[in-house]
Amino acid sequence: MNRKLFAFIFILVALIAASCGPQPTEAPAAPEVPAEEPAAEPVEEPTEEPAAPAAPLVLKIANTANITTWDPVASFSTEAAYMANIYEQLLRVNPPGAAEKFTPLLAESWEPNADGTVWTFHLRPDVTFHDGEAMNADAVKMSLEAAADHAGASFIWWMLDNVEVVDDLTVNINLTISAPADLIASSLYGAWIVSPKALEAAAADENFWNDGMSYGTGPYMVEDYTPDQEIVFTRNESYWGDWEDGQFDKVLVQIVAEATTQQQMLEGGDVDLVTRIPVENYDSFQNNPDYTYYEEASFFNYVGYFNTLRPPLDDAKVRQALSYAIPYDDIITIGAKGLGTQSRGPVPAGVWPWSPDVNQYSYDLEMAKTLLAEAGYEGGGFDLRLTYAAENDTEAAFAPLIKDSFEQIGVNVTLEAIAFSQQWEEAKSDPANAQDMFLVLYWPTYSDAGSDNLWSLFYYTEAPFFNLSYWNNADFNAMVDEAIGATVTDPAASQAKYVEAMNLLVEEAPGVFFFDTKAVFIIPNHIEGFQYNLNYPFVQYFFYDLRPAN
Amino acid sequence: MRKLEFLIRRLITSLFVLIGVSIIAFFLARVVPSNAAALYIGPKARPEDIERVEKQLGLDKPLPVQYSIYMSELIRGDLGTSIGSKRPVLQELTERLPATLELLITAMVLASLVGVPLGVLSARAQGNFLDVIVRTISIVGVSMPAFFLGLILQILFFRNLDLLPLAGRVSGDLRFTSPVEQITNFIILDSFLTQNWVALKDAFLHLILPAVTLAAYPTGLIARMTRAAMLEVLEQDYIRTARAYGIRDMIVTYLYALKNAISPTLTVIGLTVAFALTGTFFVEIIFNWPGLGLFTVRSLLNLDYPAIMGITLFGATGYVLINLIVDLSQAWIDPRISLK
Repeated sequence: MNRKLFAFIFILVALIAASCGPQPTEAPAAPEVPAEEPAAEPVEEPTEEPAAPAAPLVLKIANTANITTWDPVASFSTEAAYMANIYEQLLRVNPPGAAEKFTPLLAESWEPNADGTVWTFHLRPDVTFHDGEAMNADAVKMSLEAAADHAGASFIWWMLDNVEVVDDLTVNINLTISAPADLIASSLYGAWIVSPKALEAAAADENFWNDGMSYGTGPYMVEDYTPDQEIVFTRNESYWGDWEDGQFDKVLVQIVAEATTQQQMLEGGDVDLVTRIPVENYDSFQNNPDYTYYEEASFFNYVGYFNTLRPPLDDAKVRQALSYAIPYDDIITIGAKGLGTQSRGPVPAGVWPWSPDVNQYSYDLEMAKTLLAEAGYEGGGFDLRLTYAAENDTEAAFAPLIKDSFEQIGVNVTLEAIAFSQQWEEAKSDPANAQDMFLVLYWPTYSDAGSDNLWSLFYYTEAPFFNLSYWNNADFNAMVDEAIGATVTDPAASQAKYVEAMNLLVEEAPGVFFFDTKAVFIIPNHIEGFQYNLNYPFVQYFFYDLRPAN
Repeated sequence: MRKLEFLIRRLITSLFVLIGVSIIAFFLARVVPSNAAALYIGPKARPEDIERVEKQLGLDKPLPVQYSIYMSELIRGDLGTSIGSKRPVLQELTERLPATLELLITAMVLASLVGVPLGVLSARAQGNFLDVIVRTISIVGVSMPAFFLGLILQILFFRNLDLLPLAGRVSGDLRFTSPVEQITNFIILDSFLTQNWVALKDAFLHLILPAVTLAAYPTGLIARMTRAAMLEVLEQDYIRTARAYGIRDMIVTYLYALKNAISPTLTVIGLTVAFALTGTFFVEIIFNWPGLGLFTVRSLLNLDYPAIMGITLFGATGYVLINLIVDLSQAWIDPRISLK
């Protein structure tokens, strides 16, 4: 029996060793031709000397972004980085400073009616989806109505009445109120135009999108997808935008969560581009002639809510005092490693309706003490509980600065790091007993921070949406309503109203407006064509723009 | 006969253990204050959208009802849908299992092949310089955190020496030059079976650093356990008798002594497999190894409770099975151990 056992163990070990062990002594140097590549069609004339196929031009990227769904309607997360290369909207918003506000994609031109409630889009002719279906008015109607019905970001279409097919290449987007349908239709979420066949198939089979399918009109298609590992994109040869020499045939994205690993992959030449490098290592790239370092304004900002339901934070004077006690510069220097600028209200710089006319608080402890005394809290003497997202390193870095500073005016802060979803749930489910202060990193869903940031963060609704300060100010609500209503018909008046609303917000201080973040990109010199677009922060790279440098 | 009875009895108790684990995991996952429907659809969802998803995921029903639905679906092989990836949890797990098993098996074989001889050497050289070295190595192996060792190995072998790849299971280019035909999803095995030597070499090189990192702890433990057991056995009368008969020292040590000393080591190997499974969490992150560990960490961070349930049940089943195998094999090796 024992002999048998040992024989068994030896054979087992030998087998395993054989499968991992024999290190191939020489790798065949000859070019590898896949021995059994299943040919899609029989080769008509097998010649003796097959011409060696040109190696595909491959762009290699290490990206942190994982796939939460391949369903372009449901998509509302990190996979946007890839969706934007597979799918297209009717139009795309250009970065601030561009000559034109929009780049036409599937729509060639568009115009609203006089009151901004009916938007007519004229579609690009002769565009086909990856599955060969024609892109036309029916496809647009079906895509947008599916988005309004059940997209991850369906709320952006809350004012959509219907999409009306005028003719094969014309649609009317009918809205219940005046709204900037051009901005909404350019959203990174809930605005992709998808092949009707795929939408029908997905409606019938909930697992339809599981394995990485692409049914868009974009320049690239998904060729292969291994969850948590890699995605291979290949050219859509019939892309309406045509192809030039030097554009990449394939894009290999490796999903790499660790910033340090990404950096090593970039420096070791394993990949051409990365999406995340440890902030503390930026210096080494800034002075490296092999890389170009971009530091750009971003779509994101840090906001802190005060729970305005409970004393002492129900008193605007106390909130103003605390706003004066925030060490803004230190927070940017230490928390954001210098990559930020103090916010002017909740709208990030560069995004509509940001304005330099919105007021800011300065760091002034004496003023803070005076205001506390006026509010009846001489020398502070109260406790606050501040929660922040445990997974956010920046918040973890700057939250202690708030605690230290508040202590100097006699306010004791207890810091609590909890998962974002937990602090969000606490704030949503039980406002009366929720945290006193709540830090959040926020960004608008599409390029309209008026109807998003201002409305979402501080407009009062009975069941709080994202207004987790629970602030209820009828004047503010009226101003925001008026500004939203005038966005299309009278942008100047709309912006003026927004500025008025934001100044009221800053004065009443239901929240702290810490800083707008900056986005950093480190591009090796052997890649050309990189263009940053602030409006699409999760799409670090539009593959179609990129080319190898000569 | 007794073995069959033992096996059946153990399988039945294992079933109860798994049911217990499922109850604890199911209810614990829901104690955490978070809204699964909101996680599924995103924080900006409208109340009506959250309601729709709650209905879709069955979250509007009382917990015991949800549990019974979960269990009845589990019996039919449905572990639910991951909140994070919107794909069936079972598919997520089975797709990633080969990568983890490849790493785990290699690490455990490595640990056994290195740990056992080290323990024997150390026992034979008790108190000598060699013994001190082996003991030091095993203490370092047991106590050095995997993430630290992994980073050190990466810096040394990738960055400084440029000998081994940094991360991943194969090179990114491989799919364009020598694609591996997937048969079992064990890349080493598949490339061996299809005689794709370029891929085999590439996959093997990628496996070295993560396997060594993962093997460090079990190697140390196995070496120490073997050493202790060998010391005890080497003192026995029959060993002295064998030596007195003039039987060669190697045969006495490796055949007569080790055979009797291997039993506690086997138990340790069984237990460290389970430990190494959790070790893969760190190792897979550092080496970007697309296995269960990476998926587990992501699911935990996202409070992806269907995935967490699936992983827990998967892990518990593995643990129970390994324990069963260890018990059976011990009885096989050592007839004195009775199966009761």
